Amino acid sequence: MTQSTKTMPSESIPATLEVPPESRLQYINRMLGVSRLGLVLVILLAALPFIPPFNREDLLRWMIGATLIAAQAIAFDFTTGYINVVNFGFAAFLGVGAYTSALLAVELGVSPWIGIFAGVVPAAVLGFFTGVLTLRLRGIFAALMSWFVGLALLGIARNWVDLTRGPLGLSAPRFLETSSNRPYFYIIFAMMIVTYVVLRWITRSHIGLAFKALGQNIDAARASGINPTFYRVLNFTVQCAFAGWLGGFYAHYYGILTPQVMATSHTVEVLAIAYVGGRGSIWGGAFVAFPFIFFFEWLRSTLTDLPGLHLVLYGVLLILVMIFYPGGVAQLYELLKDLVSRFRPDPVSTTKVTK
Amino acid sequence: MQATQTQESFITDLLRKVFSAAGLTILLTLVIAGATVFIAGPFVLVNAIVTGGMWALMAAGLSLVFGVMNIVNFAHGEFFMVGTLVAYFVFTPLSAHLKTNPSPLLSAVAPFLGVLAAALVGALLGAVIEKTVFLQLRKRTKEQWIMNSFLLTVGLSVIIINGVQILWGTNFKGITRYWEIPPFDILGVTVSVDRAVVFFLAMATMLLFWYFLRNTGTGRAIRAVSQDETGARMVGIDMNRIQVLTMALSSALAALAGASLLFMFPSYPTVGLKPLYIAWYVVILVGMGNVAGALVGGFIVALLQTMTSYFIGPGWEDVIPTAFVMLILLVKPSGLFGSEVKGIHER
Repeated sequence: MTQSTKTMPSESIPATLEVPPESRLQYINRMLGVSRLGLVLVILLAALPFIPPFNREDLLRWMIGATLIAAQAIAFDFTTGYINVVNFGFAAFLGVGAYTSALLAVELGVSPWIGIFAGVVPAAVLGFFTGVLTLRLRGIFAALMSWFVGLALLGIARNWVDLTRGPLGLSAPRFLETSSNRPYFYIIFAMMIVTYVVLRWITRSHIGLAFKALGQNIDAARASGINPTFYRVLNFTVQCAFAGWLGGFYAHYYGILTPQVMATSHTVEVLAIAYVGGRGSIWGGAFVAFPFIFFFEWLRSTLTDLPGLHLVLYGVLLILVMIFYPGGVAQLYELLKDLVSRFRPDPVSTTKVTK
Repeated sequence: MQATQTQESFITDLLRKVFSAAGLTILLTLVIAGATVFIAGPFVLVNAIVTGGMWALMAAGLSLVFGVMNIVNFAHGEFFMVGTLVAYFVFTPLSAHLKTNPSPLLSAVAPFLGVLAAALVGALLGAVIEKTVFLQLRKRTKEQWIMNSFLLTVGLSVIIINGVQILWGTNFKGITRYWEIPPFDILGVTVSVDRAVVFFLAMATMLLFWYFLRNTGTGRAIRAVSQDETGARMVGIDMNRIQVLTMALSSALAALAGASLLFMFPSYPTVGLKPLYIAWYVVILVGMGNVAGALVGGFIVALLQTMTSYFIGPGWEDVIPTAFVMLILLVKPSGLFGSEVKGIHER
């Protein structure tokens, strides 16, 4: 027994530990975590607007809605799944970006293409301050604080009628003159990919590690030298910046903006998708958004005499997932991957056998 | 010698109480209320006093559920909505019946029947939700209970709102008044009978609730669970019973508030959102699990709202209290009347 443990390391472990230096491509792949299946799905999604049932304009509208929700769910999970604080005012930050971009276009004639990046700035600044406000608070109180910030922003948008036209709605110029939805799909598709790549990259770096540590135990993280102030504020700022950016798309795609975009129900929608997708996975919510939004939109268009049924299903699903499978689809995927790899020859054990 | 000493300590104690955050806030509120009466006339205060009592009831239920079950209830406003709905469906047929065959006794009692029915339905709904949803989660979740149960209540809120919308539609279901009695004057202010009765109903319910928590065995058991769950379990308190009871009680209070305010808040599916966040303002203002404080907080928030809508303009009454509560949350996260003991919410 003791002999084998003594001889084992000197003989076999150096051989298996000789990892070839990682190539640049492998590094990128590791950071982005794109599996073969994921890559196929993304390519399929990109090709979908040309595949017959989906090239209809109404289905394209659904796809754009689904992609927008998917991108929001990615941004939402960046805070919820990592630093473990639910930004319950998420929709308000989206609305801030949307209003900024729309107002710049309406009042100053700024091109929407520049406007959506300009919308990032106030959203990020407000996100920064929300991060500072929630610093002293933990868990649920931080969520309540961000909710109050969202409610205050909603109230301002609703009442500052001179600027936002209030509930009457602000009509914003669209990105393109075309009435086709296909170009819009590619715009939001690209935005979703950028959101995924940037946020995934951050969460896979040492910053993401700090986020996770803070989310699990703030005192232990502080004790091991992580500055909670810096990382929590950073997380909020980045999330809200992306929310504002996506809001710019919302404004210039739908073309009409009411304070309702900032309502809590909108946050709940994104939250449900992100949670069903799986916390702390980044991709889970984006993956779940497509089948879900399609199913709900189909339900809404077939059962027009029952408005709100799809939202009831949202609620039921959120409850069922929370009770029976809190890990969501991401955990299910890990489980399936585990099962598949069990039936496959293990690469490590085969190398050992050949030795 | 002795007498002066106790007197002195009494005075310093009083001074300390007055100059604490809670004391200063109450003092400031009283001063502001006085100034408002002086500038605008006392009629501004009527709505604040009427709604304040009901917000206190909402907040008391909310903070009870948080204290006993550690649930941050996002669906609390939906019980308010269910209350308005039940009261509408009980009271409207009754008042139609009264039109054809008048009866002074029934017309005096009918509103109370509506409120009572609402409270009962609310209690039943709360108990059912506890059994079907929270109990199931409690069996399965060990960690992150607060966040998970919060999301569960978010789901519940969505289900109740849209379920009601599917079943009864989005139109406003309201009444103009409960009692067909002309309003009366107090100090030159016209107060409708409804408002006066609702105020006294809120006070009576609050008193009853306070008495129940303080002086009955079940009430003591509820407080014991909220203070120390393990200890309560050790002395043989039946947790399941307490949890069902707490949820039913809290929902009943919210439904009662909704039913009582039906003449101010006509029933429609999302009517509960505003009472929900007002209740949260109150709870954060005074701190969790503080029933007597909820009463003061309810009036402070209601006063703040009426004043904002009077001086700044209607519509802004949500923004200013939000900012105020955010300030409180920053300066004193445990609430104005809260102790500095670390609660479960900080874990």
